[in-house]
Amino acid sequence: MGPRWKGKDSEAKAVKDPMSKIVWELQSSLIQLKSQGLLCGCSVLLAAEAEQAVLLNRACFGEPITAAEKDKQWFQLGLEEAFYLCYSLKCLNIVGEDKRLMNVEELWSFMKSKKAIFPDFYKAYSHLRMKNWVVKSGSRYGVDFVAYRHHPALVHSEFAVLVSTEGGGDVNGRIKMWSDVHCTTRLCGGVVKTLLVLNINENSQGAVSPSCVEKYTVKERTIRRWNPEKCREDHTVVESETNNHTVIESGTK
Amino acid sequence: MEVVKCESSFGEDSDDDSHGQYANDDDAEYSYASGLVPKLQSRNIVSKARWNPKMEMAEVIVQKGSLWKTTGIARSGMIYCSIEEVLFLAELGALILLDHCDATLPLEDIYVKVANGKNGCSWEQFQAYKQLKSLGYIVGRHGVPWSLKGVNRSNECVSSKCSVESALADSESEDKSSIIGMFNGMQINEARPVFDVYLPNSKFRKSSPGDPSFVLCFTGGYPPSKAELEALERQCGGVPLKFCHIEHGRVNFFSFDRVELPVLP
Repeated sequence: MGPRWKGKDSEAKAVKDPMSKIVWELQSSLIQLKSQGLLCGCSVLLAAEAEQAVLLNRACFGEPITAAEKDKQWFQLGLEEAFYLCYSLKCLNIVGEDKRLMNVEELWSFMKSKKAIFPDFYKAYSHLRMKNWVVKSGSRYGVDFVAYRHHPALVHSEFAVLVSTEGGGDVNGRIKMWSDVHCTTRLCGGVVKTLLVLNINENSQGAVSPSCVEKYTVKERTIRRWNPEKCREDHTVVESETNNHTVIESGTK
Repeated sequence: MEVVKCESSFGEDSDDDSHGQYANDDDAEYSYASGLVPKLQSRNIVSKARWNPKMEMAEVIVQKGSLWKTTGIARSGMIYCSIEEVLFLAELGALILLDHCDATLPLEDIYVKVANGKNGCSWEQFQAYKQLKSLGYIVGRHGVPWSLKGVNRSNECVSSKCSVESALADSESEDKSSIIGMFNGMQINEARPVFDVYLPNSKFRKSSPGDPSFVLCFTGGYPPSKAELEALERQCGGVPLKFCHIEHGRVNFFSFDRVELPVLP
């Protein structure tokens, strides 16, 4: 299953305007303006100038907050988004409610205190973002994330993503029973997404600091239902064609 | 927001078409009829095989029709078929199974052979076999060569697949007992490869079957774990895997494929 572009010009638009470039522009702009986010509950609030607001929208970070304030557009960033901008892209500083700048370690502890599985989720999020996929919350589809090939205005999300921890106790354990497999693939099929499981191996690094996460490894696996009635013919040609657009099967070498 | 709108328009009902994953929806299968199941027409072309309890296979004594091109393993000029092959053909009325006194065994006795689990194929495995065969797929026991003729050649392309197979290829003897040994070696309680499945192919030859399209695996009640998946992938050396889950007679197939998402521009 290849990407489902919205409208006929969308793919061309995406090709002309690669996500890596948009994120890079956002990064530069945030650095230039020394942007600061305010930690607020499980979100980080960020006031953006007009130019940044456009870039945040185009790069798909956060959700704009509807407000009457004229010169600023506020955005609400999720924990993974905020930490990615702060730690991986180094373009956002985050302050607590006392307006004091939080260092990376403090922030890391805070994220973990709000969400025990944050290190693995962050690894999953940053893994896909670094491959220039757009990653948004998957709660609408009962999964952890959804991954888009480009901006959601141009293309439907291709993957419904579940984060799975390898080794001792899968905290997020989502596909333990066959009924879980049925349930999730059924739902994904209904919304035309492929179920992607990211197995995070912590490689005994623990999660004391965010640098531990850099040593985690990620393995990608898709879970699909196979229908013997529709696959009777050799479709390797079609498959390799769509593979150029979707995924490279590493298991068929 | 726009995402929700567009995607929900695919809705529940259309997932057959949109994703091609679901064959029949729940309601289509039930009919409030007389309770009689349609019978298959009786056949004129009927093969015969004699059950060999030691081998836990049937020796084909009368071969009729072209189905034998893709059924049974060829050994010493004979064709031997496994219990699932016997039962599949017997249900169709294409095979009569005889006991050692040449008395015809009724279907019930064949079901008993599957039920007792001693012949290397469980009822669930038979259901998967039957569904695939009914659709024209070519199905053989995993790692059991179709014939010993091309085994050295085919061994090259599937060499890493199964130690049993290479053990068999190495042994010069076509001793029938080695086949039994192979079946008895199958483990019961963990994720394991069961069938080698080939796409429907009228040119299929037992002497050069090529690599299977996929290996059908069964698990012990739960979806395969990461460790099981990786072990099976190593064992099957590059042939794709599919996993079968059967509940209430419904056969479901799933793939758990390793992928690598591309780095986008």
